[in-house]
Amino acid sequence: MIRRVTGTAAGVALLIGLTACGSGSDKAAEAKTLTYWMFQDRTPQAGEVVEKLRTDFEKANGVTVKIVKIPKDDYNTKLGSAIASGSVPDAGILDQPLVARYALDGTIKELPAGTVDEKAYYEGALNTNRVNDKLYGLPVDHTAVALFYNKKFVPTPPKTWDELKQIATKIHQDDPKTAGMVVPKGDGYGAWMWPGIVAGAGGSLVDEKSKKILFDQQPGVDALQLWVDLLPSSPRKITDSDKAFENGLAGMMISGPWDVANIKDQFPDLQFSTAPLPYKTQPAGNIGGENGVVFSKGKNADLAWKWLAYLTDATNNTQLAQALGGFPTNIAAAERDAATFGPDQAAFLEQLKVAQARPSLPQWIQINDEIIAPAIETALSGKATSQQALSDAAAKTRALLGWTG
Amino acid sequence: MAYFIVFLLYPALSALYYSFTDWDLRTDAAWVGLANYVDLLSDDVKYPHFWKSVQVTLQYTLIAVPLTLGTALAQALLLNAIRRGSNVFRLLLFLPVVTAEAAVGAIWRWLYDPQYGLVNSFLGLFGIPGQNWLNTPELVIPALAFIAAWQCGISMIIYLAGLKGIPDSIREAAVIDGATPIQRFWRVVFPMLRPTTFYLLVTGVIAALQVFGLVYVIFSGGGGRSVTGGPEQSGLTYVLHLYLFAFRYDAMGAACAMSFILFVFIMIITALQFRFVKQEAS
Repeated sequence: MIRRVTGTAAGVALLIGLTACGSGSDKAAEAKTLTYWMFQDRTPQAGEVVEKLRTDFEKANGVTVKIVKIPKDDYNTKLGSAIASGSVPDAGILDQPLVARYALDGTIKELPAGTVDEKAYYEGALNTNRVNDKLYGLPVDHTAVALFYNKKFVPTPPKTWDELKQIATKIHQDDPKTAGMVVPKGDGYGAWMWPGIVAGAGGSLVDEKSKKILFDQQPGVDALQLWVDLLPSSPRKITDSDKAFENGLAGMMISGPWDVANIKDQFPDLQFSTAPLPYKTQPAGNIGGENGVVFSKGKNADLAWKWLAYLTDATNNTQLAQALGGFPTNIAAAERDAATFGPDQAAFLEQLKVAQARPSLPQWIQINDEIIAPAIETALSGKATSQQALSDAAAKTRALLGWTG
Repeated sequence: MAYFIVFLLYPALSALYYSFTDWDLRTDAAWVGLANYVDLLSDDVKYPHFWKSVQVTLQYTLIAVPLTLGTALAQALLLNAIRRGSNVFRLLLFLPVVTAEAAVGAIWRWLYDPQYGLVNSFLGLFGIPGQNWLNTPELVIPALAFIAAWQCGISMIIYLAGLKGIPDSIREAAVIDGATPIQRFWRVVFPMLRPTTFYLLVTGVIAALQVFGLVYVIFSGGGGRSVTGGPEQSGLTYVLHLYLFAFRYDAMGAACAMSFILFVFIMIITALQFRFVKQEAS
């Protein structure tokens, strides 16, 4: 039976091949092949979405698209090895903070003018591809963190920092065994969230144009001080417990949309919801996500850009972003499909409108991990004031970058 | 021979070459001479946590190696003493070695949990207040060393073989001479095991200086969290630091230099052990 099916399939394929050749289009027979690298599918359904996008693109353009899927944890290492050995794909996914590094050493191509309309994308997401005022990729999807709150302790989510502190204090006063909020830590992950808090006080981390460090100024100090001030009502001894929020040991936490699905799956009884991050002067958030880039050593650059534009256009971007576990970067797609995101996802959509891209410096990952994270930890552990910790970190960052401002 | 050249010698030599270059895995390597080595040892702007990682690793080695050898010897003596069912116990004590590292990490994170952890419950029985083991900088290294001691199955098996190699006649002679069990251990068994201990000490120190997997699984919380070595870098071991520079910060040249510094250091430590630690049985 199976043999007969494959036989039939082979026959059909042969017929199609013959008709293609017979119709005199010799070019189609040697159709272009595009290779595209992406992260491993999160779910089988996500794989189906990607597959449909791939076949539609092939049909519309008469080309072959070969997709290689690699587990996220190994992706950067594998990509680095491929680039080192010269066997790069034509296009691929790239982590946001790597774009600057790859752009500056010529590993990826600049986006040709007129490929897409820049206004079609959210600014924060598009800016994650911007290095020295030039674009080097397109935002395939983006994501942000927001406030998760347990409805049992928090009837209405806090909008401002003051409300956040009041609610956290009240939760811990009412029950000393419960923490107000899981305060992020001074590790790479906490340092990735922190810029969203700084922006909520109207600040930013650096000014790349004038080569100035800004995170040691008042907004940065206030943002770090907020976390320090939250600690008394949110003891680490409680919040360091695994899944403290999910187990009802903490009233609030900051996390991303991936946790919405996780909690519903593993803690179906937890009455929780999400809200935009509380702010001091203006709503703001951080940003994460995946960009699509075109490799300099790849072939078919024009086709590669066409493919990335297709993945991020108004028609396809929502489906793809949902499959990747993020949100559409295409404004038209996001606005049209806003209703398809559940109420728990609405907060993230709000957050993404005000999301701020990370500084596009090639050393940013190292600065995030080795300088900012330890500074946050120093202040949180009480070994230095927020101002001291950040001034010290700013001095180290200036020394590393060779900046004077 | 071909295997040796292709899989060991060639990578080692190319790593040595790259350690004298500035290489990010993507663009051509630029020759910088000894700069990587000099910067690693002296430039705390470029490598702010290099010496911290050295300190963490030495602390870990000093705690983990004696603890592991002591545990392994105690387990071996117990196994050697029981007549029936020793196979079952041997299997149980060896299990931690063959357990996947990710599972070990998950289990111990749960055991050390400040709220639900069994470690704190156990200490509570003796009136010792619970600790936040993996999030208190001073406690991270002891907590990690304890996990390493729990995984001492291989050392235990080697000790067991050493114990089986002690002739019964010597032990019987000691009994006839009226030696107490404690005297027998210190005067007969322990000296006879000296070659075994020496071997385990040398290999144990080499392994401890290269500890990586355990720290990596304990401190990577999943969910895109980057591993920066636990609270205040208190668990940033040398090889974890090397890994971050190789695969996260794209500084493969510096990472190769770090690996050769470690190689030379291990050679020196091992030579010193051969020179100053007694190896012969007596």
